[in-house]
Amino acid sequence: MKDKLLALRDEALSRLGDSDLEVWRIEYLGKKGELATVLRGMATLSAEERPVVGQYANEVRAVLEEAFAARKAELESHQAALREKTETIDVTLPGRTPFLGAEHPLRKVIRRIEDIFIGLGFTVEDGPEVELDRYNFEALNLPKDHPARDMQDTFYLTEEILLRTHTSPVQARTLERRCPETPIRIVVPGRVYRRDDDDATHSHAFMQIEALVVDHGIRMSDLKGILLQFARDLFGADQEIRLRPSFFPFTEPSAEMDIRCIYCHGDGCSTCKHTGWIEILGCGMVHPHVLEAGGYDTSSLTGFAIGMGVERIAMLSYQVEDIRQFYLNDVRLLEQFATLTR
Amino acid sequence: MKITWNWLSQYVDLQGLTPQQVAEDLTNAGIPVESLAPVAAGVENVVVGHVKSAEQHPNADRLRVCTVAVGAAEDLTIVCGAANVAAGQRVPVALVGARLPQGPIGKSTLRGVASEGMICSASELGLDVRLLPKDQTTGIFVLPADAPVGESIVEYLELSDMVMELELTPNRSDCLSLRGVAYEVAALYGREVSIKAPELRTPPQDKLPLTVEVATDRCMAYSAQVVSGLSLRPSPLWMQMRLLAVGVRPINNIVDITNYVMFEWGQPLHAFDYNAIAGGHIIVRDAQRDEALVTLDGQTRALEPAMTVIADPEKALGLAGVMGGESSEVTANTRAVVIESALFDPLQTRRTGKRLQLRSEAGTRFEKGIDPAVTLPALARAVELLCEYGGGAIASGPRLAGAALADANTGHDAVRQVAVRAARATAVLGFTVDAGQILSVCERLQFAAREENGTVLVDVPSRRPDIRIEEDLIEEIARLIGYDHIPATMIVGSLTAGGLSNEQQLTRMATDHLIALGMQQVVTYSFVSPTVAERMRLQPDDELSRMIPLLHPLSEERSVLRTMMLPSLLEVAEYNVNRRQLDLRLFEIGTVYLSESLPLQKQPTERRVIAGLLIGQVQAPSPHGESRSVDFFDVKGMVESLLKRIGVDAAAQYTRSRAPFLHGGQSADISAAGSQVGLIGKLHQEACADFGMELTDAFYFELSVEALLPLIRERLHVVELPRFPGTLRDLALVVNRALPVSELLTAVRSVAGPLLDDVRVFDVYTGEHVGIEEKSVALRLSFRSRERTLTDEDLQQPMAAVLDALTIAYGASLRA
Repeated sequence: MKDKLLALRDEALSRLGDSDLEVWRIEYLGKKGELATVLRGMATLSAEERPVVGQYANEVRAVLEEAFAARKAELESHQAALREKTETIDVTLPGRTPFLGAEHPLRKVIRRIEDIFIGLGFTVEDGPEVELDRYNFEALNLPKDHPARDMQDTFYLTEEILLRTHTSPVQARTLERRCPETPIRIVVPGRVYRRDDDDATHSHAFMQIEALVVDHGIRMSDLKGILLQFARDLFGADQEIRLRPSFFPFTEPSAEMDIRCIYCHGDGCSTCKHTGWIEILGCGMVHPHVLEAGGYDTSSLTGFAIGMGVERIAMLSYQVEDIRQFYLNDVRLLEQFATLTR
Repeated sequence: MKITWNWLSQYVDLQGLTPQQVAEDLTNAGIPVESLAPVAAGVENVVVGHVKSAEQHPNADRLRVCTVAVGAAEDLTIVCGAANVAAGQRVPVALVGARLPQGPIGKSTLRGVASEGMICSASELGLDVRLLPKDQTTGIFVLPADAPVGESIVEYLELSDMVMELELTPNRSDCLSLRGVAYEVAALYGREVSIKAPELRTPPQDKLPLTVEVATDRCMAYSAQVVSGLSLRPSPLWMQMRLLAVGVRPINNIVDITNYVMFEWGQPLHAFDYNAIAGGHIIVRDAQRDEALVTLDGQTRALEPAMTVIADPEKALGLAGVMGGESSEVTANTRAVVIESALFDPLQTRRTGKRLQLRSEAGTRFEKGIDPAVTLPALARAVELLCEYGGGAIASGPRLAGAALADANTGHDAVRQVAVRAARATAVLGFTVDAGQILSVCERLQFAAREENGTVLVDVPSRRPDIRIEEDLIEEIARLIGYDHIPATMIVGSLTAGGLSNEQQLTRMATDHLIALGMQQVVTYSFVSPTVAERMRLQPDDELSRMIPLLHPLSEERSVLRTMMLPSLLEVAEYNVNRRQLDLRLFEIGTVYLSESLPLQKQPTERRVIAGLLIGQVQAPSPHGESRSVDFFDVKGMVESLLKRIGVDAAAQYTRSRAPFLHGGQSADISAAGSQVGLIGKLHQEACADFGMELTDAFYFELSVEALLPLIRERLHVVELPRFPGTLRDLALVVNRALPVSELLTAVRSVAGPLLDDVRVFDVYTGEHVGIEEKSVALRLSFRSRERTLTDEDLQQPMAAVLDALTIAYGASLRA
């Protein structure tokens, strides 16, 4: 019996390599297979022999099952290898890249600036582009016949209706609407118009973004603090700013803000005209006439305003040389912004 | 405004300062110095020479051999090719080894004669020849006969003097004069200003009588005086050089003196030929209707009553503050002039200048306002210079008229008192300012001031008209203490929540979604050509044809406000297609401007529109098989996903559009919750062709932000997942080919009962297996109950109801 089992084991193992695996399994391990047949003969054995042979038979079964599993794995792995071989592709071929959309650089800059001010507690306000003379000029301390509101520089639609020349009328509208509410903290992006012939640095339509704060106890030093924060958020944590006196009809005192040249870091280059500084924006303490026009009490309230040209910041940030590029919308340029992370 | 360092040093002590430092400090004080450069750079070893003789060159017709004394022991032999060289002249001589802007000068031999240097022309010295008279720029630069032989030309012509160009803000018109800049520099460094006004002098008796009369309120002050015995000649070279340096063309001694005094005092002056003034009587009056004047430039100007003229009893002599007249122009025969120093209404001057398109240094100063305190000193200064450099003598007493001179006659500057509180300055600036500091700033500015209980009362002189209120003085304080003194602090006050409005949130979300779908955002101008109405095939009475015109457009191409986004996007597409960019997926969230009627009565409605234009392939070219062209359903899918993304809850309806710029068979109006929110479609072939895309299929969509906003759902929670499986039933129906599938879907939804969860179209077939007028539509209905698993019996009734309804309403039959 034992010899029979041994012979059966050896035969089965020797045939495993060249048999169909399932046929082999049925033949040797199946319910009606060779091993089962041998085991069925155990009934004829004596009570002493039976456990010994039984254990032996189990060992043979274990060996065969193990051999079967190993062979099965071997064949499967071989088949997988064959399939992979036929399925092999050139992984260096380009992928099916979806078109990469991109935000327009001017919108990108506006969003960044909006987000900086939102983080500082400002709400974003809009206003009409087609404005009334009253809001664009008069309420902003630019009375009729002020040289700065020249017919030459403004697109008029009628005598009283014009295309706003700056985003500041939204200041006037907000003050008028919210008076006497405080604090006012708004940021206003938008398109503005000047009667300029288009060239590398001028456009008859361009974007501005401005901020306005009105509250009790607002100081020019607060303006400087916000500007420093803003400049560092926008141009890097090590940015420095410089304020220089300037003039705007709707602020007093007024200032221009320069940042350290972002190209030469202050060493002097052609962009900063070798001064180490680049002019970025205008700002100042809200002129009392503007607060008064909005109905606010100038003896107890002060405020500051900041205004900047979006194109200028975009030109500096992305090294675009000609403002008209932003409005030509050459997709070869615009597509590059899909890969610019800021 | 340009000034020179040497010129400025005449009026303010500049000891120990450098032009570079002053330029930087002026910039930091709000007077930006745009440029700083020497009058002429790169000239060395050039001296004044005396041409002792100029002989014909033995071997060349056009050359002269000159013997030139240069203050050295030996005279030099110099070969010169200029036609105007002559014995006796003083000339600039570049010695051997000299440097000129174009390069160094060496010893050379010209046609066999050795030349020991070069006689220079004005341009060779680096001077701006555009401003010099022609006789000074053709050939060599002939110097005055008293030029000291041997002196360095750089010294003699002050070529190393530094020219500063100031970029003045509109409020600082006081710095349109050397006097104003001198006060500013004096304030920066606490220096003294030394500008003395000569006294007006009256001769014992008038040789040439003059009377003046002001007959308009647009002239606030008029002063004039006669100077006779003049001889017209070039002004002294130093004066010419200074005018040249600041960009003014030297002409003759009389004109140059008026310009020189204008730069010095900021007061424009005019010189009339005395003999041209009938009766020696000057009247300042409004121009008459139909009056004409030939101005100095030879043009005949039609005058209007809104203009102010200087006239005699017979005729207009000149336009006040704008330009003189030809008839009273100073000429070579002029022996006596009337010098005018006056104050004209800035607005009148500006309007007249603009009307006649005449801009001048004088006009600019009148427009910005002139210090009334300088009217008389400037007149006296001009008269003084005319006597000194024009050989003239005073021939009449000064004649004064006008309201402003009444004050001036008292001998006091008109002043304005402005108070500034130290506490207010501190509160506004954010650093402590005390009354002592304010007084010190006022002293530097040379403003009289005194303190009363922390308030400083300041007498602001008329030279600073920009200072009117307390804040103006606070700026002066900050400016002179230095803006860099302002600390950086954070706002103290209640916290506020920043954020976007609903509309801004929506446009940001839409932007992000479209970009994620591969769309490229563009930004286009709002001005378009009025021809776009026709190019978009709009009827004249279409509301979209009512484009608001600009009163003064820059060009016809950009002369009206757009009423639709499509032409703007087409313009971008055309630009890119012309550059062989053929796969375009453009979008813009832009503004259109709609008016109720024209001409405009009130502000138009501004609508924000999300608009997209797609042409070309759906995918970038790749080696992995064929791509295909964008079609209607690509774009519709994009719109559907966008509506979902921004949270539009209501189902959108697509109904055939009548928009004239869209393809009649492939376009739809989009509406939701009963109102139109946009449209979508293939562009009409003519609209495409008009933008240079004859053979291109272009697809367009637009959605009104205003219409979408009320449709955005407020809900911010999810729907619970079903616990029981759903059951699907497919229906293949044969219907009329023209039947919109959306009607089938609507009908299914209305009759299928509460168990219907969803219904979709999964196939549409036309072809040989159905009739020619028919199509087969395959629908997949999904049923689901929240309480239990559905059985076949549950679905029998709803399916039968659907089939009945579709058969009755649309003649639908089950496909065999």
